[in-house]
Amino acid sequence: MEGTARQKVPGGKLLIVKLRYGSRIEGAQILGDFFLHPEESLKDIEDSLVGISYDANEEEIARVVGAVMDRERIEAIGITPEAIANSVKQAMKNGMESNRA
Amino acid sequence: MEWRVIELETHDAYTNMAIDHAVSDAVSSGTALPTIRFYKWLPSAVSIGCFQSMDDEVNIEECQRLGVDAVRRRTGGGAVYHDSKGEITYSVIGPLDAFPTGIRDSYAMICGWVIDGLSGLGINAEFAPINDIVASGKKISGNAQTRRDGVLLQHGTVLYDLDVRTMFSVLKISKEKISDKMIKSVEERVTKVRNFTDASQDDLYKALMKGFTEGKDYNVGRLSEGENRSAAHLASTIYCTKPWNFSR
Repeated sequence: MEGTARQKVPGGKLLIVKLRYGSRIEGAQILGDFFLHPEESLKDIEDSLVGISYDANEEEIARVVGAVMDRERIEAIGITPEAIANSVKQAMKNGMESNRA
Repeated sequence: MEWRVIELETHDAYTNMAIDHAVSDAVSSGTALPTIRFYKWLPSAVSIGCFQSMDDEVNIEECQRLGVDAVRRRTGGGAVYHDSKGEITYSVIGPLDAFPTGIRDSYAMICGWVIDGLSGLGINAEFAPINDIVASGKKISGNAQTRRDGVLLQHGTVLYDLDVRTMFSVLKISKEKISDKMIKSVEERVTKVRNFTDASQDDLYKALMKGFTEGKDYNVGRLSEGENRSAAHLASTIYCTKPWNFSR
């Protein structure tokens, strides 16, 4: 299944999450007009989402993303681990709804 | 610290981004002085942030029809329409230790040079974190930074004039939104030098040059042969290519 979520992060930038998923996330793409240093590290964040269970909650997903950002010393401006987690769950929800329709 | 200043040049989008890259590499390897450059875009172009999708953000067919280039930047941030007659772009490229450590503080420092320049035209502008400059509460300049290999690159634009209709046709916004109402809404959020003064674009350039160089030890210079070669190579192998521009 595929799902996309768009949000303007409160006090931040535009964040778009595109997911491919079944019972787990199979592929993730994070897009938007935010800043991330170093830029190449976005792939580390995207890769960290792969394998996360469909049933994982926002806190669990934010913890995974936060851990990668800490480990890789990623500095993000305009997005947060919590916003990414929120968009991941929203993308799953949107994917389910468009699949039903 | 001694700076090199490269006076206003006009290039296509791919060359402009490649020059920023080549100069960053040269500053990183110690073969070039920290550099301030001013440039314009010919033909007009759209640049997108490195985390954006070209297909999502840009109407490529319309760009092709109008002869507008479309390029992905190395920096984050949003999609920008660079009108060949409507703006002056600058890049500041120097070693990280030439700038404050904090990202916000380094934006504030370089944006301060733009603000000083605009004040020379009687425009009272201020820094709007994280990466904008506003005048009368409306955006007049947008900026984007990357930090790689010990070098900070910040590029940004100052809007001199704004062709909102063309901007809307090349940026992907639904046709319904290209109504007078939407255009009015953009004009409520974005402003341009022309709204404040009759100064020419050359006056703006001279004011920016003063704002960027005042109090600095600098020489007016040009790209080295090595930088020119490197820029040509980067333009043809990265910035002109589909794998780079459509990587997302």
